[in-house]
Amino acid sequence: MLYIKCPHCGMRSQNEFSYGGDASVKRPELGKEVSDQDWDNFVYNRKSLRGKHWELWQHVSGCRQWIKVERDTATHEIFKTLKANEEISL
Amino acid sequence: MSSMSALKNVHNLGKFGDHEDKKGDNLLKILEVKNFLIIQIVQFKNSSIAIEKINIDELKLNDIPLDVVFNENTRILWNGPKNWFLVSTKKDLIKDISLKFKDSDFAVTDLSHSRAVIEIEGNYTKEVLKKGSPFNFDSLKKNNSINSLYNNIAFTVDVLNDNPYKVRLFALRSFGESLYQSITDASLEFGYQSI
Repeated sequence: MLYIKCPHCGMRSQNEFSYGGDASVKRPELGKEVSDQDWDNFVYNRKSLRGKHWELWQHVSGCRQWIKVERDTATHEIFKTLKANEEISL
Repeated sequence: MSSMSALKNVHNLGKFGDHEDKKGDNLLKILEVKNFLIIQIVQFKNSSIAIEKINIDELKLNDIPLDVVFNENTRILWNGPKNWFLVSTKKDLIKDISLKFKDSDFAVTDLSHSRAVIEIEGNYTKEVLKKGSPFNFDSLKKNNSINSLYNNIAFTVDVLNDNPYKVRLFALRSFGESLYQSITDASLEFGYQSI
């Protein structure tokens, strides 16, 4: 069983969480011209890397907050978790 | 219109499971608790109101994970950041809450009729909880609360006492019967008395 440390509640089982996609994707700036390609990349295109990866998870059966999780997609090891409003330092 | 409790159809009184020769705290006690005032209070992100200044039934909200603030009538459970779950036997507290929490800063929702509430007491309570929930209940002390899952049913646990362990479980009313069946099935091994 995978355990995720929720920054709000503490160590919890992965069963309580719901996966929410890539956390490194940034929305194109508001009010600026966006090419179809950039919008396509933001909405659909993902890299699906092997290795360390920042992901969004929601603690849906706990505090219901969205969090960021740094996880290795090959080993499932979790390195770090952040609150949703905290910046990822790459 | 007559009101019906959430577990009326499943909560049968009596002793069940391996209850023979078991007395006192060695026999689990399971009961349905009714007629609570249950309120969800959420502070909006853009609100700058200091929650420490708000007083409900002589209790002050705090934003400390797992923490329950309480007196003999009311318990306020931490449900998430700026999110609380108030449980009280004082039904008229709703008027006070409506006055103190302004619409511009807080969302106040009356959940009194949408929750099933089960209380379990006895030495085997933790074992029953561990059977269906992935949470480590050894880390949960008196006057702590959590949200978690029991056989994939979302529930809230409020620890009322730790010797003997006594907990109050809250689930959505529509899942209440399923949770009750799960809890009582898990309790058969230890023997339980429905009160």
